[in-house]
Amino acid sequence: MNDELIASDAPFTDAQRVILGALADTLVPASDDGVMPSAKDLDLAGYLARNASDFLAELAEVLARFDDGFVSEPLDARCERMQAFSEAEPESFGRLLAEVYGCYYQDARVLEGIGVGAGPPFPRGNTVEPGDLSLLDPVLANPTNWRRDVS
Amino acid sequence: MASRDRDPVDVLIIGAGASGAAVAWSLAETRMRIVCMEQGDWTNPSEYPTNFPDWEQRLTERDHIDPNVRARPTDYPINNDDSPISVVNFNGVGGGTILYAAHFPRLHPSDFRVKSLDGVADDWPVDYDALEPYFAENDRMMGVSGLAGDPSYPPKQPPLPPLPLGRVGETVARGFNELGWHWWPADSAIISRPYEGRDQCKNLGPCTSGCAQGAKSSTDITYWPVALRSGVELRTRCRVREITVNADGMADGVWYYDEDGEEHHQRAEVVVLACNGVGTPRILLNSTSPEFPDGLANSSGLVGKNLMFHPVGFVQGLFEERLDSHMGPQGCCMLSNEFYETDPERDFVRGYMMQIVRGGVWPWSTAMLGARSGTIPWGPGHHEAFARRFDHTANIGILCEDLPEEHNTVTLDPELVDSDGIPAPKITYTLSENSRAMLDHGVARAKEAMLAAGAIEVTGGGPARQAGWHLLGTARMGDDPETSVVNSWGRSHDVKNLFIVDGSIFVTSGGVNPTSTIQALALYIADTMKKNLANLFD
Repeated sequence: MNDELIASDAPFTDAQRVILGALADTLVPASDDGVMPSAKDLDLAGYLARNASDFLAELAEVLARFDDGFVSEPLDARCERMQAFSEAEPESFGRLLAEVYGCYYQDARVLEGIGVGAGPPFPRGNTVEPGDLSLLDPVLANPTNWRRDVS
Repeated sequence: MASRDRDPVDVLIIGAGASGAAVAWSLAETRMRIVCMEQGDWTNPSEYPTNFPDWEQRLTERDHIDPNVRARPTDYPINNDDSPISVVNFNGVGGGTILYAAHFPRLHPSDFRVKSLDGVADDWPVDYDALEPYFAENDRMMGVSGLAGDPSYPPKQPPLPPLPLGRVGETVARGFNELGWHWWPADSAIISRPYEGRDQCKNLGPCTSGCAQGAKSSTDITYWPVALRSGVELRTRCRVREITVNADGMADGVWYYDEDGEEHHQRAEVVVLACNGVGTPRILLNSTSPEFPDGLANSSGLVGKNLMFHPVGFVQGLFEERLDSHMGPQGCCMLSNEFYETDPERDFVRGYMMQIVRGGVWPWSTAMLGARSGTIPWGPGHHEAFARRFDHTANIGILCEDLPEEHNTVTLDPELVDSDGIPAPKITYTLSENSRAMLDHGVARAKEAMLAAGAIEVTGGGPARQAGWHLLGTARMGDDPETSVVNSWGRSHDVKNLFIVDGSIFVTSGGVNPTSTIQALALYIADTMKKNLANLFD
């Protein structure tokens, strides 16, 4: 086990990580066609440890609100409990959602899945269609419209 | 421990951003000893966010456009509590051009004559024709891409062909054509072809995080390399606290702090301020002395007053077809000047530009915006809703001309200070009724354009809060010392060896992104200084 994994796993107990995975899967389940992974399949614990250290204590309290039974409930039942949590504690829920989305939508598999390519924009770059400049013909047919009476 | 009397220099420029770089380059040919002090560092393009997988995360923290969020040691805090628009900037070599979108329109000829034409504010003491050669020279130095023939401007010839319209541009252009409205490919300080040793844009997307490719024309890679080769000295991590004056009331140098917080005095024959419309009045107001108890160059009482932003509205259209919205220069696609000039039929004077924006809607930000607006749910249905929106949007920014009002100010905060103990700027700003009406009109027209372009859903509003990019008017130009801070070529009325070359000296704001005009004005001032070297202080 390398240092990164130790650091990533350190903030959470095994039980907390299971509940965290269930929460993540509730927020972003896998797509029906299997192209998009569930958020529980990403290294959310590591992401949180790297990017959200100020949220870990609050997150521990959030995790404590969800018992082992939550993990084994079907998705629609977990959604009901998540909805209740979002209404009862909107700030904590909002932060949790932002972090799960942050982890999810910066993951290589997810970026491949939505069609933007894995990895950072540079040096890969993108190809943009030049566009049809003949669309300017109607603009050029109109009179010049900058104000000339300026002197 | 404070140290005094470093070797005097001929010209001391404060600030290495858009205008400081241009004026340094222009003055270099005089062979005078020129030193520029910059409170920030050089940036390293390999450290810009788009080099990293977590680049969206980085935009929310250390690379944020808001200095209060970014909070690097090189930043200074800004109190925006009394303003609906907060200041965004960058402190480092290149200044705001490091993070700007590089949308590069010029002010129009009418912008310099608003009093004569529309009976509001004041005319400028210079006009478009006087600046035209400097616009062209600046386009060449920066590397500007665009298309000649825009009927909303006098003739001009960008040195490089335009950036691609892409699907966003084509789609929105059809809407403007449907309505018979003006549009044109944007002039962009982004190179569309290899130019002066730099490689062309490769459509990364998020230009406002710094350009890792080096295609965006920030002054650290345009003016500065040439200026340095010409003998200008650039000192980074030097934060100027105040400008000092001698017994004759002339500027004789500055007190500044180095990277370690050590205090130094640098003597100079000429001082040039290039710190933007917030940083410049901050230094002037902090430069008090028995001769200048209300701040330097402030006999008019107008230093820090007449602050103008460009209040910005945004309209987003959602389209059935995929528009590849996440790729390509985010702020540089096309613009419309259809509503730029005053129309007496409207309930406001002056006007606004529409800036068609393709980016700003990347994966994480799309999910978050969808969560906030309720359009992309979490849980079952998330992926379908995300796929319907991501890469399916186009945006129109409405950039309103902001008229000068003395109650909109930059002052020194009585409590907030930067890491060297220098008082921080405090912004006091109220959106005028004219700007409000203009913004509402622009948002309504932009929604109309989106629907004409085929949008299936349109949302929008304004003013956007974190949109105080354009900092103008706080040390205005003019011929009358009682109603202006500097004369028609940037020289202080009160202190004959003090010049200001940044957006502070704008008399009015126009309704376009100001960097092109700021730099043209800086080149014009530098050229006038060179022509008057023999009697510069007369």
